[in-house]
Amino acid sequence: MKHLKTAGRYIRRSPYQALSATLIMTLTFFAISIFAVLTVLSVNLINYFETRPQLTVFFKDTVEIAQIDSMKAQLEATGKTSDVKYISKEQALEIYKNINKDEPELIELVTADILPASLEVQARNPEDLKSLAKVVSGSEQVDRIVFQEEIVDTLISWTHAFQAIGIGVIAILITVSIFVIVTIIGIKITARKQDIETMRLIGASNWFIRVPFLIEGFIYGVMGAMIGWLLSYGILLYTTPILESFLKGVPIFPVPPLTIVQILGIELVVALGLGVFASYIAVLRYLK
Amino acid sequence: MIQFKNVTKKYGKDITALHDVSFSIDKGDFVYLVGPTGSGKTTVFRLVIRDLVPDEGEVLIGDISIGKLSGSKIPKLRRTVGTIFQDLKLLMDHTVMENVILPLQFTGVSEKNARQQAEEILLQVGLGDQKDKFPLQLSGGERQRVAIARALIFNPEVLLADEPTGNLDSETSYQIIDLLQSINKLGTTILMATHNKEIIDNTKQRVLTVEKGRLVHDRPSAHKKTTESKKEDEGEEKEKKEEAQEHTDKKKDEKKEEHETS
Repeated sequence: MKHLKTAGRYIRRSPYQALSATLIMTLTFFAISIFAVLTVLSVNLINYFETRPQLTVFFKDTVEIAQIDSMKAQLEATGKTSDVKYISKEQALEIYKNINKDEPELIELVTADILPASLEVQARNPEDLKSLAKVVSGSEQVDRIVFQEEIVDTLISWTHAFQAIGIGVIAILITVSIFVIVTIIGIKITARKQDIETMRLIGASNWFIRVPFLIEGFIYGVMGAMIGWLLSYGILLYTTPILESFLKGVPIFPVPPLTIVQILGIELVVALGLGVFASYIAVLRYLK
Repeated sequence: MIQFKNVTKKYGKDITALHDVSFSIDKGDFVYLVGPTGSGKTTVFRLVIRDLVPDEGEVLIGDISIGKLSGSKIPKLRRTVGTIFQDLKLLMDHTVMENVILPLQFTGVSEKNARQQAEEILLQVGLGDQKDKFPLQLSGGERQRVAIARALIFNPEVLLADEPTGNLDSETSYQIIDLLQSINKLGTTILMATHNKEIIDNTKQRVLTVEKGRLVHDRPSAHKKTTESKKEDEGEEKEKKEEAQEHTDKKKDEKKEEHETS
């Protein structure tokens, strides 16, 4: 308790330094929070596409139902499919209406005629998707064939790139945070050098002198993590409706509250480690 | 209580702060350490609290050799030796009370007990009503008393006072000396450095004089001197009595011989 009081006294005596340390920690943990949320969303996005049909064959408007049935039969005859589902123009319109149920003006503009009929194919083995596509690709009635795998692969590569950039930015911010806290605690130790010397000469142990500085680093870390997390959570709440309407039909929201709390918990642990580690470096460097 | 055995301390290669200094201070003594500025008085103190380590020789407190103490035991040593520093070393952003209880916080004494203990000592040094003031709000003599109170908070067996009257007027200086003497009467061994000639001339206590790092004079306390003189006088008287007795016996023998011859 007395160490906490001493740390509080050190913080009050130099509020601007304390503010700088908290701000840099806030920036770091804001970036970490945003990165964590985006990672969760990208995982949701990939999961969604992975659960979609693996192969979708879109037909031209001129296609006859008999031709579609024939192609469906050909696909099933390969024995490589687990499910082949026909989606008529009307069913496609129903799906569209369901996606845009909150925006009637969009529904009004679209009729079943402009939507293509399709076959949604699930393969027993994803490796057979290309050979299955070959079965129907020769037909003149096929408009285009979409491999879900390609979308997922693209998403995964984008996610990896995003993660690499995110980790890089966070690593830089963490390094900067450590240097800022080492410098700030170092300045404080230098400013209190005489007092520290006095305490040593009248019987203070090294740890008695060090602990308040470690607590100070811990406080900066925890404050930064809390504020950074709150800011990012606020932004997430604010942008969720906007992003939901932008990503129509792709159900990646909301981020589960438990996940948000878990992010906070992990951040607090990281903040504690980061703050105490940076202070400890300062203490070792300046309190020899 | 405190022993210096052939202690030499150098600062760098050229400056010898203490050269082959030996002395011993008994438990409960009040000893003055005098000498001009730069003579090595503060070095003696710094060696006792293991702020410095002797280059040669040995410093002992009780039977503990200070130079051989491990780093982890130094704080404990410094809690058993109260020190009043020349520059006082008070924490200016702490109140009188906070300054005095600070050493107790090192040992985990509860805030309540620490305050209780500090209040008693502040009363003892005459600062009972100043506990909530900051050092800058006090006079020089009062600050000196805060430093004394802080040094006494562990009820130390040894109290080192480095020029405690350095910047004080004569009257305040004597008040501080009286205070230290009253502490000494309670059994605390005191080693006090000063270059105040007036104080030395008027004291009957033991005085160690250092000059250019050497112990040049060790004046015993008047009490010890008186005791030793008395012993010397008793010895002389005994010798005289013995001589007189011998003389009387000789005369008696001569008279006896004369009587027998006649």
